Amino acid sequence: MTLILAISSLPLFAHHGNAAYDVSKTITVKGVVTEWFWANPHCLLKIDSKDEKGEIQHWVMEANNVPSMSKVGWTKSSFKPGDEVTVTMTPPKNGSPVGRIIAGGNNTIVLNGKPFRPVAGDNSADSESATKP
Amino acid sequence: MPKRFAASAIASIAGLIALWNFSPTLRGQSAPLSGKASEAKWNQTPPDKSAYAGKKSAPPPRQDVSGIWDAWTEGGIEAKGALEHPALGANDRQDSVSGQPDERNILRPLPYTSAGLEALKANKPAVGIRAVPAALTNDPVDSCEPPGFPRTELFEFRVIELAQTKNQVLLLNQFYDNWRIIWTDGRDLPDASAPQRWNGYSVGKWVDDYTLVVQTSGLDERTWLDNAGRPHSGDLRVEERFHRVDYNTLELTVTINDPKMYTQPWLALNKFVLHRLPDDFDPEEFICSPSEVAEYNKAVGSPVAAPAPAK
Repeated sequence: MTLILAISSLPLFAHHGNAAYDVSKTITVKGVVTEWFWANPHCLLKIDSKDEKGEIQHWVMEANNVPSMSKVGWTKSSFKPGDEVTVTMTPPKNGSPVGRIIAGGNNTIVLNGKPFRPVAGDNSADSESATKP
Repeated sequence: MPKRFAASAIASIAGLIALWNFSPTLRGQSAPLSGKASEAKWNQTPPDKSAYAGKKSAPPPRQDVSGIWDAWTEGGIEAKGALEHPALGANDRQDSVSGQPDERNILRPLPYTSAGLEALKANKPAVGIRAVPAALTNDPVDSCEPPGFPRTELFEFRVIELAQTKNQVLLLNQFYDNWRIIWTDGRDLPDASAPQRWNGYSVGKWVDDYTLVVQTSGLDERTWLDNAGRPHSGDLRVEERFHRVDYNTLELTVTINDPKMYTQPWLALNKFVLHRLPDDFDPEEFICSPSEVAEYNKAVGSPVAAPAPAK
């Protein structure tokens, strides 16, 4: 059995590039939501997925920060434990069970059998009311 | 009691009764609010840029920058560094170059002194032309250290509120729940012996009816100027010019003046446009919580940064 020591973690509040991810690939994971973590620095969707051997793998899909996800229509209630999801995301170079999606990017998510297409701007300001002194 | 006095006393009491009946605030909000206030939404997002296009605006009010302002739409996130000087190669606007030792090839180079260049190299950002692998960045903001000023305007500049009192302008920033007091009572900035502050000391004055000029000094040297790791010394002076163009538009110009680090002053923001948001706009909270960062690192940060397992 190999013991993998994490040398450090991936700090995030100050944006960074995609250095740890393989942007030339995508992976698709199908499973059941165990947690939707709506918080900064990045929102996290935790998914339990059965691999080819029938064993459960614990996956994490990371999105962007809360304000950026809100802007494209995601909310704290977008997902809940028990939801069935299929997500297509960018994998990390080291093969760990994580994937990344980007707010407003070309993301494919199927939620409980239907394409997940949040409506941007549901909670955006109405600039009309800003025009009157 | 003289008749006139009695009459005016009765009128005053009648007025107070009327005010009581018609003011929910005085009655402790026992009546339901109606109209606009009851439709107020929470956790709002500024609209798309197209929402501002072609909108006519009322003229600017005099000596008034107050309001809730959208700094996001015109580029306030500034992920690659201060908007006027992103750390991107002149021929690499797509940001595919990283790991360079310095900024000699960026689109709009900065005038570093030799001390400034040395300080720049000590700061290891995870973005832009000098980007290091994300696991090796030493950006203090990643561990929830205060971004300080002027980073709160040169990074994650999304929604701010400006409010004016008799002797202050208050600036409330969505990022990190950061706030600053700008004194407009005519005082001078403190001298160099004053303890440094993350957000410094700010004084402001109106140079004409539509332009507020703010000077800030006494800034803590531990902060980065922006997300690309630009350095500053304790001698840094920042000037902000808030220009009220019309009712709906504010322009902000930020000048960095730090002779220890830069051979001449430079503009970090140049007439950067902020659009007015409705007076009932409630922005989302955007705070760095160490426990939430720890959760992120456990779930994603550490797994992704670990060396690949041996095959």
